[in-house]
Amino acid sequence: MMAIYQALILATAVPPLWRLWRGPTFWDRVAGANGLNVRVALVLALEGVLGGRAVLLDVALAYALLGFLGAVLLARFGERGER
Amino acid sequence: MIASPVLLSLGVFLLLVGGIGSLRFGDPYSRLQAAGVGDVGGAALVVIGLALKAGWSWELGVLGALGALLLFTGPVATHAVAKGAFLRRHRPKEER
Repeated sequence: MMAIYQALILATAVPPLWRLWRGPTFWDRVAGANGLNVRVALVLALEGVLGGRAVLLDVALAYALLGFLGAVLLARFGERGER
Repeated sequence: MIASPVLLSLGVFLLLVGGIGSLRFGDPYSRLQAAGVGDVGGAALVVIGLALKAGWSWELGVLGALGALLLFTGPVATHAVAKGAFLRRHRPKEER
């Protein structure tokens, strides 16, 4: 089996990328970054299980955790300060 | 095993629907709702499908941790972004 699911999830990463690139507000950009993080973590997990490279599962776990921390930090920083 | 490709395809479909919703909706709260629901549901379905594919191994534990992490942190991130947008006085259009 080819890497069809990875390619499909990367195709669904286009709308968050668009929101990150030109969201009208700062909050759309943060939400787009969060959606992109989720999709990249899922692609890493898929490649780890289906592609037989099990190390990538740990990479996916660390990536999801750091992406969540980044999104929450950006949101908490943006709610009090200048954008 | 037929359940794993079905769950993976449903997860990809849900991610796609959430992305289309976050492209098409009009104001930031609606976009946030579409993206949040689509991301959490799609991530949960994809991780469950992968767990069925992986079977009983140590990868199942890592997949469970990843699924729990994505399932619990998605709504927290959405709430943080929506609260920030609300506190920065971004009101919906009809209340302005």
